[in-house]
Amino acid sequence: MGIREKPTRMDQVQSWRADFPVEYLYTTGVAGERFAKTLRERGMLAATRCQRCGVTYLPPRIYCQRCFADLSESWVEVPLQGVIHTYTVVPVRATGEPSQSLEVIAYIRIDGTEGGILGRVAVSPEAVYIGMAVEGVLAPPAERRGAVTDIRYFKPILS
Amino acid sequence: MRRIRRKVAVVGAGLTLFMRRALETGKELSYYAASQALESAGLRLRDIEAVVVSSGPDAFDGVHMKGEWLSDGAGGYCKPIMRSYVGGGSGVFSIIHGWYMVASGMFDTVLVVAEEKMSSCQPHPQGAFLTIFDHTLERPLGPNLLWIFALEQSRYMHTYGISNEEIALVSVKNKRNALNHPCAQVAAELTVQDVLSSEVVAWPVHRLMVSPVSDGAAAIVLASEHVAKRITDKPVWVEGVGWCLDTSYWGNRDLAYPRYVEYAARMAYEMAGIREPRKEIHVVEPYDPFAYKELHHLEGLLLAERGKAAEDLVNGRFDRDGELPSCPSGGLMGVGNPIAAAGLMKVCEIFWQLRGEAGKRQVPGNPKKGLAQAWGDLMQIGTVVVLGR
Ligand SMILES: [Zn+2]
Repeated sequence: MGIREKPTRMDQVQSWRADFPVEYLYTTGVAGERFAKTLRERGMLAATRCQRCGVTYLPPRIYCQRCFADLSESWVEVPLQGVIHTYTVVPVRATGEPSQSLEVIAYIRIDGTEGGILGRVAVSPEAVYIGMAVEGVLAPPAERRGAVTDIRYFKPILS
Repeated sequence: MRRIRRKVAVVGAGLTLFMRRALETGKELSYYAASQALESAGLRLRDIEAVVVSSGPDAFDGVHMKGEWLSDGAGGYCKPIMRSYVGGGSGVFSIIHGWYMVASGMFDTVLVVAEEKMSSCQPHPQGAFLTIFDHTLERPLGPNLLWIFALEQSRYMHTYGISNEEIALVSVKNKRNALNHPCAQVAAELTVQDVLSSEVVAWPVHRLMVSPVSDGAAAIVLASEHVAKRITDKPVWVEGVGWCLDTSYWGNRDLAYPRYVEYAARMAYEMAGIREPRKEIHVVEPYDPFAYKELHHLEGLLLAERGKAAEDLVNGRFDRDGELPSCPSGGLMGVGNPIAAAGLMKVCEIFWQLRGEAGKRQVPGNPKKGLAQAWGDLMQIGTVVVLGR
């Protein structure tokens, strides 16, 4: 006979609590360091371009994933401008607390590249739409840390 | 075991530097090894039909689904790709995995890439291993891997009357061999006394009997017979493969003798038509994450009498110019140990040795057959490949 009972409470069966005790120190890498430096120092997005395939990669990588060309010397910089490719609306709340407000999370296709970036958009859920043109708002230069969070949020480009 | 009809050749190999802390991400390391392997085979990425990505526990790099994450750096973009993962045995298992894909007739060219970036894991990659023990009977006592290796080495020494001076000689040999390896991380000219003077990490294991924490990547290109003959006049054939897992209860294994390595080796020898391994294998890269492990594994591979590998070592049989050069690369003890990449590094070494391209590490006598072996999973798998020309 196999399983004979269905415990319904966590403490109903004998158990032993433990953790998986590791943490991580990731390297941003060759491409990642250039990306971070460009964002911090010039407020631009660094991307790599494969001339042969005609593709500009964002996030940047030092190789073309299509033809394996070395792109470590093939950089372009693009401004923090793009179009909302897709979005969702999520409640902002501290753990366990009722929702106090809503925020818009979008994947933004960056103009002139194949890719894009994930970001918060300062726009009301009623006003947002797929295809909306947006631009990034950066932290002041002195407060930038060379991390993606230097992009505080995106906002609609008013035409 | 059935006979496999399609022949499979190794036609290219690539390796990054092995180091304590690489600036590059795992994807970037993979790219350097993979592109070098392709270049050495005279192929381009578009010539590759399928990709094998091999890497150890996700907990090392700290990226869950690591094989999939590495895939584009490993040349797997929009291609059939599979991850090869049997813990420390992964590097040698990856060529077995790639061999299947070509031998089956499904693909003519397969790129095999192995990567590990252990430096991400803090405070030490050891932590990633703390959960491999039985959570009811062992983990409450706080065991770590060093305990287990020390217990195994102790039993091995006791069973056969082996001294720690003899074990230390493995570190001396391999770290010296690694002085000629351009990718080596911990090459050194040491004495047995230096090794025995280093800190005891868990008696009888000393610091210099343990391989280091490493970042690195390795890659090879496999091809079917007709493709291999078209692109190279020096194909190195995969003549036999084998692997085997012992029980997951480490204490239920014969700690003095790796039976699972013997079974894996017998499988590979049978496929390769090898009856007398000690005469027919000319160069060997057994897995050496700990010094005693090289001797342990040489016995399991039937390349030394049981309990006598230490004596052979002392007599110079395993030196680079000895009767059976063992770890001519410098092994994990000398080149370094980015887990999966270290196993595939051993395959690369046999490839270069059989082609006569090992430079200052070249063993004399024009070797025709070589063997690479790795070990891992819950310390219970043996993975073996026999290469020949
Ligand atoms: Zn390209």
